[in-house]
Amino acid sequence: MALISIPLPAHRSIQFNFSSLNGTIRLLSNRRVQLALMILVPILLLTVFRPFLPIPGPLETNLRAMTKPPSFVHLFGTDRMGRDILSRTLAGVQISMFVGFAVALLSLTVGLVMGTLAGFFGGVIDRVMMTITDIFLAFPSLLLAIGLVSVMGTGMLPVVLAISLSDVPRFIRLQRSLVLSLRSRAYIDAARTVKASQMWLMTRHIVPNTLAPLLVAASIAAANAILVEAGLSFLGLGIMPPAPSLGNLIRDGQTYLEQAWWISTLPGAVILLIAISLHFLSDGIRQVLDPRSRK
Amino acid sequence: MLTYSFKRLVQLFVTVLGVVTLVFFTMRLIPGDPISAMAGDNLSGAALDQMRGQMGLNDPLPVQYLTYLGRLAVLDFGTTVTTKLPIVGLILGALPVTVSIALGTIFLTVLISIPLGTLAAYMAHKGNRMLDNIITGVAMVLDLMPPFWTSLVCLLIFSLTLGWFPASGTVSLDDPAMLLRRIALPVLVLSMAQIATLARITRTSVLEVLNEDYVRTARSMGWSELHVLFRHALKNAALPIVTVIGLSFGNLLNGTVIVEFIFTLPGIGNLLVGGMNSRDYQMVQTLIVFYAMIFVAINFTTDLIYRVFDPRVQF
Amino acid sequence: MNELRPIRSALLDVRNLHTHFLTDKGTVKAVNGVSFQINQGERVAIVGESGSGKSAMAMSLLRLLAYPGKVVSGEINLEGRDLNRLSERQLNEVRGRLVGTIFQDPMSSLDPVMRISNQMIPPIMRHLGLSREKARAEAISWLDRVGIPDAARRIESYPFEMSGGMRQRVMIAMALSCRPRLVIADEPTTALDVTIQAQIVELLKELTAETGAAMIFITHDLGLVARFAHKVGVMYAGKLVEFGPVKDIFARPRHPYTQSLLDTIPPVDQLERRRLAQIPGFPPDMKLPVTGCAFKDRCAGAHRRCFEVAPELEPRGHGHAAACWLPEGLGAGRQMERALIPPMEPAADAGEDRVVVEINNLHKHFTTRSSLPWRKPPTVRAVNGISLRIRKGETLGIVGESGCGKSTVARLLLGLDPATSGDIFIDGMAQMVFQDPSSSFNPKMTLFNIIQEPLVVTGWGTKAERETRVRELLGQVGLDESYMHRYPSQLSGGQRQRIAIARALALKPSVVVADEPTSALDVSVRAQIINLLVDLKQKLRVSFVFISHDLLTVSYISDKIAVMYLGEVVEYGPADEVFNNPAHPYTQALISAVPIPDPEAEEARIQKPLSGELPSPLNLPVGCSFASRCPKATDYCRTHKMVLKPYSKTRETACHYAS
Repeated sequence: MALISIPLPAHRSIQFNFSSLNGTIRLLSNRRVQLALMILVPILLLTVFRPFLPIPGPLETNLRAMTKPPSFVHLFGTDRMGRDILSRTLAGVQISMFVGFAVALLSLTVGLVMGTLAGFFGGVIDRVMMTITDIFLAFPSLLLAIGLVSVMGTGMLPVVLAISLSDVPRFIRLQRSLVLSLRSRAYIDAARTVKASQMWLMTRHIVPNTLAPLLVAASIAAANAILVEAGLSFLGLGIMPPAPSLGNLIRDGQTYLEQAWWISTLPGAVILLIAISLHFLSDGIRQVLDPRSRK
Repeated sequence: MLTYSFKRLVQLFVTVLGVVTLVFFTMRLIPGDPISAMAGDNLSGAALDQMRGQMGLNDPLPVQYLTYLGRLAVLDFGTTVTTKLPIVGLILGALPVTVSIALGTIFLTVLISIPLGTLAAYMAHKGNRMLDNIITGVAMVLDLMPPFWTSLVCLLIFSLTLGWFPASGTVSLDDPAMLLRRIALPVLVLSMAQIATLARITRTSVLEVLNEDYVRTARSMGWSELHVLFRHALKNAALPIVTVIGLSFGNLLNGTVIVEFIFTLPGIGNLLVGGMNSRDYQMVQTLIVFYAMIFVAINFTTDLIYRVFDPRVQF
Repeated sequence: MNELRPIRSALLDVRNLHTHFLTDKGTVKAVNGVSFQINQGERVAIVGESGSGKSAMAMSLLRLLAYPGKVVSGEINLEGRDLNRLSERQLNEVRGRLVGTIFQDPMSSLDPVMRISNQMIPPIMRHLGLSREKARAEAISWLDRVGIPDAARRIESYPFEMSGGMRQRVMIAMALSCRPRLVIADEPTTALDVTIQAQIVELLKELTAETGAAMIFITHDLGLVARFAHKVGVMYAGKLVEFGPVKDIFARPRHPYTQSLLDTIPPVDQLERRRLAQIPGFPPDMKLPVTGCAFKDRCAGAHRRCFEVAPELEPRGHGHAAACWLPEGLGAGRQMERALIPPMEPAADAGEDRVVVEINNLHKHFTTRSSLPWRKPPTVRAVNGISLRIRKGETLGIVGESGCGKSTVARLLLGLDPATSGDIFIDGMAQMVFQDPSSSFNPKMTLFNIIQEPLVVTGWGTKAERETRVRELLGQVGLDESYMHRYPSQLSGGQRQRIAIARALALKPSVVVADEPTSALDVSVRAQIINLLVDLKQKLRVSFVFISHDLLTVSYISDKIAVMYLGEVVEYGPADEVFNNPAHPYTQALISAVPIPDPEAEEARIQKPLSGELPSPLNLPVGCSFASRCPKATDYCRTHKMVLKPYSKTRETACHYAS
């Protein structure tokens, strides 16, 4: 579970324009991005089209095929109730992806707003915000999530909120430091000499230039959220069975590790693949943003 | 130095107070109250009321809060709700296991990751990308493996299949050999992720220093590559590395909870999961505050170490 | 080539050196066949613009290039040994011992977490085989020689405890400590202020003369070359295009590039101001193969042969060599072209015009946050009571060393920071042009949006009117309209500065504040921008405040000059008077520190660099702020503050002993 730390690309390198075709092409021609998409796209397609695949449903039990090792019929094997692990894994990926996306979006949005306010206006807002983030950052992330889940109960929404709460302070910090470094740029001063409003400065000059580094952080946060959700579910504190979250699958298999190794290990490998590809994605974006980091 | 330590201490105090307050009030947000949540439907209204009275839950919230703070100030963490055992005793009993795992992990991590990261940085600096790519690639994969999954895989391979390490057995400080054998796998699992993080940071820091002008100055005075690497690069890179060791301690604490659960080790992580499962909120609340304080204290210490060893920091 | 080679063997004989940078995007041939010789005790300057390969060449000599740079071929004979064939281990016996190196940025060239003693003593022990005590004594004596006060104590300090000038002295002491035969100095004074630069240059001159070490001096400053060098090599696109004795090169340059370069420098004599000559275009992309002469596209004298075959460095007599097919370079054409440039119109009689900017007793104090709440926070007096007036169409130059408060004045004028006290009156609007063209623009905006931003913000005109205005502005700064839809990253430094000027002019301001607008630009591009500013000033009758540490440029472009020292104006008056006949001792020192690109004139000047460094603005002296460094200071100066008062009819100065 990686720390979120994005070195701010130097000013001359934040020249990446997501809206322009040129930017998209540069992004797609990056090797790491290609690699990430090569893993992510098939997994996503399989997940989306799972109902149409010739495999049993994730909750379908089959008493004639209990604890079967991987074979052509059941690529990932079955569990002790004869449920198809591949099918359950794909359903779990769906949940993971949702959690990852929701957490990334939530943290990014809240972090963007609060961080911009703190960095741009400074003063009391900034100090209060920093003290609060300090308090939240004092908790190791999984433990904060455990504490929050104990209050909010288990299930999808509490899990998403619990994980986001430990990410939001990091995003606020990141956005704040981005804003601070942009605030003293010469083009901000130039706009101030013609008495441009605070709103103009923020929406025209500051926020657009922070989006790219925030996106890099968001893709790491998504990977992180997927891992934390799996961890929570594994401890029995996340998404409750029978919903096939990846953490639940691994927890299920733990008891039968000796007899049926595939129940735990194969879903775990899929989590790893997703996390790796999300990291490749963020690395790729960063490389496109800052050519000097390519070393 | 004193001024700085003072300022940091004030900041530390504010953070800890915030942590305690946050945890206290969040716990009170639980629908109903801790007692009914714990008891479920087993107790009658009168019995519940009596328990509430005993625990002071009938007082107004601010009074409860102040009472709580007062008790924390004298390190009285109360008793568990179910077994009525003092929580401090439980924590102290479980602490050695967790500390052994944490220390073991840090030792193994530093031992492996710093040479590895330095090597990768040196190779990258010389333009030998292959070895660098292999080291950074492996580091990334290790970093992203969910620790609970790695634990299971290790358990499967080393305990169940190869039988090298026992998967169960009593753990106590009186039997260090057993303790070592039992915590070996958890330490290995946690180290994997930590090594990855630290090796990557070491690589980045050393590589950055190798590109500094003063390294070129040292070369221009006729020093060999090894001299430059050890006398200049590592010395300058050490400071950010120390900071990262402090910061990654949070992940290490996360990890201990999971490995203690999987390897059924009686550490404080297991107390926490146990507390959650038996809905002992008093216990959960105390432990989360405890974890946060350890983390804050560690970061405070690394920050001071940083400042003591960096001659540039003036006080 | 044979004529070049002296009978006695040279100390350093470089032959056909090639250095490449193997990047992802292709091979950059940074050094592309360079040959030259240096004799014992000779000071050779290598000049060139950024990207000409001069630093790469210098670093190649000791193989100090970082990856992906690599010396591909060539001989580097030092006292008969080819350094290029030595192993790393053998080369380490040469580095520091036979060849000392001084780098550009003193702030980053010393290890920050190591004491000076630990950086200086071990190399002396190793190379000279001395004991620790003897090596220590040697190191201290070197620090003493380079002018570190209290060297025996200061040797135990860390670099951060010293100023930039002091650190560069330590670098010099280190480089010379093992008594090398050759010293390579890579832009050793570029990062320093002009008075410190003068001190360092004098020091290098003295020490190399004393020790008999030869020196390679890499620089982009032709003035320094004139002051310092015996011989000059001019580099362009990875090649030496001209090499020879300094006086000969300045008096009779043979290569068109050298000729144009010399013509781009603002003339020192102010009698007749002409537009500067400018070199059109940009240097070639070093990743692409060059057929023929690399300078052909920018050369007025280029003919067919230049496009086919690259000329080699050929002797032109008296140890002078040039790489051009034409024996005299641009020759008579150069003189003709210069004559075609019309003299500038004299500034209109300023007395008639109204005052557009008036500053009265301006103060700006920065209060740093106190470390403890009950302690009184320290105050920096960045601007400490200045009063200035600017008339319409007039250019005011503000000069001074870094930290003198000149940039703070600019920010106050633009209303970016509030003044602590005093008032600023501006008739109309103030707009700005910044130093760093790379951070001046929002990278996400097209040039059209950048230029029209002031119009949009102030609600000027309709969309169509704004577009017309942007086109007009682009024309005024000499850029094609097709640039409108590009992004700033697609422009060169000079083009960006044109855009900055267009943006500043959009609202027809009464005064444009330009803070170091040309410092980040190369010499040839700098002339283009200066010419543009001069044209605009005449055409639009807009006032300029031109802030720079480059005195030659300021005196060339300004009507009036204000000299600042520690937040105060110490001298104020017409540019040519201040420059040619300075009254205040600080102005005198500043101007004598500026190297003039004319070796004959430099020789004639008396060099007495200003001693000492800028005192901390935290605790200003009670009396005259310059007293601590002033050669004429008396006790009276140290106790009595002096204000600006009339010195002559047109000039004011703040010195008790000015007359």
